[in-house]
Amino acid sequence: MKRKIGLITLIILILAASLVWGKEEPLTNWLQDPATPLAKDVRTNFWISLLVILPFLFISEGLLFYAIVKFKAKPNAKPATFHENLRLEIAWTILPALALVIIAFPTFTTLKKMEVPPKSDLVVEVIGHQFFWEYRYPRQEINFAEKPLVVPVNKVVTLNCTSVDVIHSWFVPAFGVKQDANPGRITHAWFKALQTGTYKGQCAELCGALHALMYITVNVVSDEEFKAWVEKNKPAPVTPTPTVAPVKSKT
Amino acid sequence: MADYKKSKLDGIKDWLTTTDHKKIGIMYLWFALFNAVVGGSLAGLIRSQLFTPDSKLLTPEMYNQVMSMHGTLMIFFVIIPAMVGFGNYVVPIQIGARDMAFPKLNAFTFWIQIPAAILMFSSFLVPGGTTQAGWTGYAPLTTKQFSGTAGVDMWIFGLHLVGMGSILGAINFLVTIINMRAPGMKYLKMPLLSWTWFVNAVLMLVATPVLAGVITMLLSDRLLGTSFFQPAGGGDPVLYQHLFWFYSHPAVYIMVLPGMGLVSMVLPAFAHKKIFGYKGLVLATCAIGFIGFMVWGHHMFASGIDPVLRSIFAFMTMVIAVPTGIKIFSWIATIWGGTIRFTTAMRFGLAFISLFIIGGMSGLTLAVIPFDVQVHDTYYVVAHLHYVLFGGSMMTLLAGLFFYFPKMSGRVLDEKLGKISFWHIFIGMNVTFLPMHWLGILGMPRRVSSYPQRPEFALINQIEMLGYLLMIGGGILILYNIFKTLRKPKNAGADPWDVNQIQNTLEWTISSPPPPENFETIPVVK
Repeated sequence: MKRKIGLITLIILILAASLVWGKEEPLTNWLQDPATPLAKDVRTNFWISLLVILPFLFISEGLLFYAIVKFKAKPNAKPATFHENLRLEIAWTILPALALVIIAFPTFTTLKKMEVPPKSDLVVEVIGHQFFWEYRYPRQEINFAEKPLVVPVNKVVTLNCTSVDVIHSWFVPAFGVKQDANPGRITHAWFKALQTGTYKGQCAELCGALHALMYITVNVVSDEEFKAWVEKNKPAPVTPTPTVAPVKSKT
Repeated sequence: MADYKKSKLDGIKDWLTTTDHKKIGIMYLWFALFNAVVGGSLAGLIRSQLFTPDSKLLTPEMYNQVMSMHGTLMIFFVIIPAMVGFGNYVVPIQIGARDMAFPKLNAFTFWIQIPAAILMFSSFLVPGGTTQAGWTGYAPLTTKQFSGTAGVDMWIFGLHLVGMGSILGAINFLVTIINMRAPGMKYLKMPLLSWTWFVNAVLMLVATPVLAGVITMLLSDRLLGTSFFQPAGGGDPVLYQHLFWFYSHPAVYIMVLPGMGLVSMVLPAFAHKKIFGYKGLVLATCAIGFIGFMVWGHHMFASGIDPVLRSIFAFMTMVIAVPTGIKIFSWIATIWGGTIRFTTAMRFGLAFISLFIIGGMSGLTLAVIPFDVQVHDTYYVVAHLHYVLFGGSMMTLLAGLFFYFPKMSGRVLDEKLGKISFWHIFIGMNVTFLPMHWLGILGMPRRVSSYPQRPEFALINQIEMLGYLLMIGGGILILYNIFKTLRKPKNAGADPWDVNQIQNTLEWTISSPPPPENFETIPVVK
């Protein structure tokens, strides 16, 4: 028994250590460093749900553990004989149901925020390929692939996602955004990054052999830098070419 | 295990041609055990590959094959047949029948699993290997254009055969339970294992044809050039997901309801108390079966389906937590005030409750759509599903194994070895799957063969390897225990666990192993 306890303690220590180590790494995720208002909402939503769910988890596990320790068979002990209690049964039906209503409300309000984006400042078309991402800025007429997405800070960026082959999923944890890109359909997502910096993500829907290497990088830059970037990458103004070929007279 | 004839050859012939529900049940269990060894080894390959961020152990193609086949085998060839094995063995005896309603059909549903398994295993050998699209096989990744290999066709045919077996088996269970109950065995007197099988058979009968349909559509896309799921031809990949999950969400309950039945038999036996809230448990089982058909969309929250539809699915997912909660509380009330004997079966049963609570609660967090979208297709989901399927179904199966082994073979499994294997599996399970929640929140997607740009995921994956090794140790001990015990004399007696002091169920009134046809005269239930 002592050995078992020792083993369990060891494992818990390793787990705790792993969490501490994990924190030192340059992580960006919605729980530790949410980078958009949406990611913050998701985090709040998660905490509220946990606040409701965890008491049920601890109460039920606690009761189970107590019963296991307390009602161990002892010589001469007689088992109880009750096997019904309508009030108790009604209580453990109604109480969890009420708790679920409490979880449902913030869920639906956050869902509404996800689904109804504010007025868009920048539209980007996200196109999944096996195994890279193509980005198109229709208003700026910029198209490129296999390079980081560049967006301005504090601006609402709307994403229209689709795919040319199989299903991909555009997933940047720190933004609180994950959206499947389905071939033949256009799906929508949006984010508003609050700080400049580089954010990592990757494709989250199995899309073939190199799925694991289909990374996403987003560079969030200041407004000026973004304008400079657009100027630099804009297609060179095309010299107007005559639409009608000059007529050459034969004679 | 149980041999009724003396000559060795006769014995083998007897097994091959038997229509005895008990022998068929035992064959199902051997079949599941064999596949569990294969599926468990594939899990070892997965864990070894992910041990380092940029492992070259498996190529990405090979990793995807291993991962897909691990899922397919564990679901369709381990958990479901093992559940069917216990159901096949125990349910007819429990309701006082001599056999299933259609014994020959019963044999057919078992033997059809063998070519299915052969198709699955041999699909690794064809050029291009087997499917690489996960057990879900989402189109269009599984269409001819993106998976040219014949392995996918073999995977589909294998699932067809298994599905056919499920449908026929469900009909057999339903007819048996409706028509062949002993006199006096009213519906509300049926033991809970039979009740869960009743509901389960309805689930299998209603859901499985949809799976058969959707993979047939996929097959015709592949072989006949139709375009159900190809946008270029007017098809829709999201349709595949709707149809697939219309089967596969109820399939989750197909995998866990009979296990809940097993646990409902084990807990009263070793707590020396009648099951608490029998009617509540029956109602909860029916409710889970019914609502289970209305929650499939929660697998598709990131697919871009309509937000109103998503809200409804999220709400139904929360609703289904209520009957599940009723079950958990009723089980705790069952052991409350009892005198608990900690046999191995009881340990696995109690472990099931504690792990299923965690799996259920993490499932509830997944009903919170904004959170679900963040952790969808990450290791959080992998953690959740292993808490439900390993901590849930597998623990109930192991409880059932230790509980019913004496009935099936006439020999009690070694308890000391059993307890050691219990601790290995229980601790190993938690060390492997608990940290996965954290990994998912950090943003590690599932189904990735490497993570060279995210070395911070490595440490947790390495800890998980430790847990995997513990579980394998426990598994090997259980195998050793089974083969060791089978060499011992049959001395279990009709009721080795003294179950009938607590609540009368018919399987413990007849000898272990029971005679062919179970009962000399059909018992009358009071």
